[in-house]
Amino acid sequence: METLKINGVEKEFAAGIPATVVELLKQLDIEAATVVAEIDGQIVEQAKFDQAALRKGQSIELIRFVPGG
Amino acid sequence: MVSINEKLQCGVVGIAGLGGLGSTVAVALTRAGVGKLIIVDFDHVDKSNLSRQQYFTDQIGKTKVEALTENLQRINSDVEVIGYQQRLNAGSVPEIFADADVIAECFDKAEEKRMIVETVLSRMDKPIVVTVSGLAGYGNSNTIQTRRISKRLILVGDGKSGIDSCKVLTASRVGIAACHQANAIIEVLIDEINK
Repeated sequence: METLKINGVEKEFAAGIPATVVELLKQLDIEAATVVAEIDGQIVEQAKFDQAALRKGQSIELIRFVPGG
Repeated sequence: MVSINEKLQCGVVGIAGLGGLGSTVAVALTRAGVGKLIIVDFDHVDKSNLSRQQYFTDQIGKTKVEALTENLQRINSDVEVIGYQQRLNAGSVPEIFADADVIAECFDKAEEKRMIVETVLSRMDKPIVVTVSGLAGYGNSNTIQTRRISKRLILVGDGKSGIDSCKVLTASRVGIAACHQANAIIEVLIDEINK
């Protein structure tokens, strides 16, 4: 089974891992407007979420921002 | 051997937003002896801010930059404070914080938080960014955590308590998050930046 490590936890994708960050966020039902994404420690700019190809075994950090400061 | 005080004295910290987080981070870093702070906020002190932000009744109406600069210099006259009264965007962040070793993301809106973290990590080479998500509400002190996400990104908060869902910001819980932020910054200045 293909996996990605998402926020430190291994997640299995029975139908194969999503092709891009946009697809991953859709599957996880996460709103892209308030997320910072890193792949293997490298920032992915929001404008490139639809181009950033994912490969099995990568480590993804998704930081979801909620308001307040 | 460089002393801890000397390491903090040569530290440069940018603070983006001077509300409950930013004003409290600034006070903690000033008391700790950090040498230079670059503080940025477009807003003025409002009576409603006094419930949790580090301003006084006689400062209502002043710019937050001016009021906080006064307060920091009353705490420690050696601190160098560079203030910018303006809104930050992806274009101005790298310029304004060019000298910073660490940047504290202290904004209110989720989209602006995202913007500054992305900008620091994608358009700047040096600074570490310490950001916060999830500090609203009251109680639950121990759900606020500090997590190292990657080399230049540190995340504070419980990850879920927004002002939209929790309705209230308390000086105590915002203060916990702000002091997590300040504590992470001090640790980085001592152990990584000026090691």
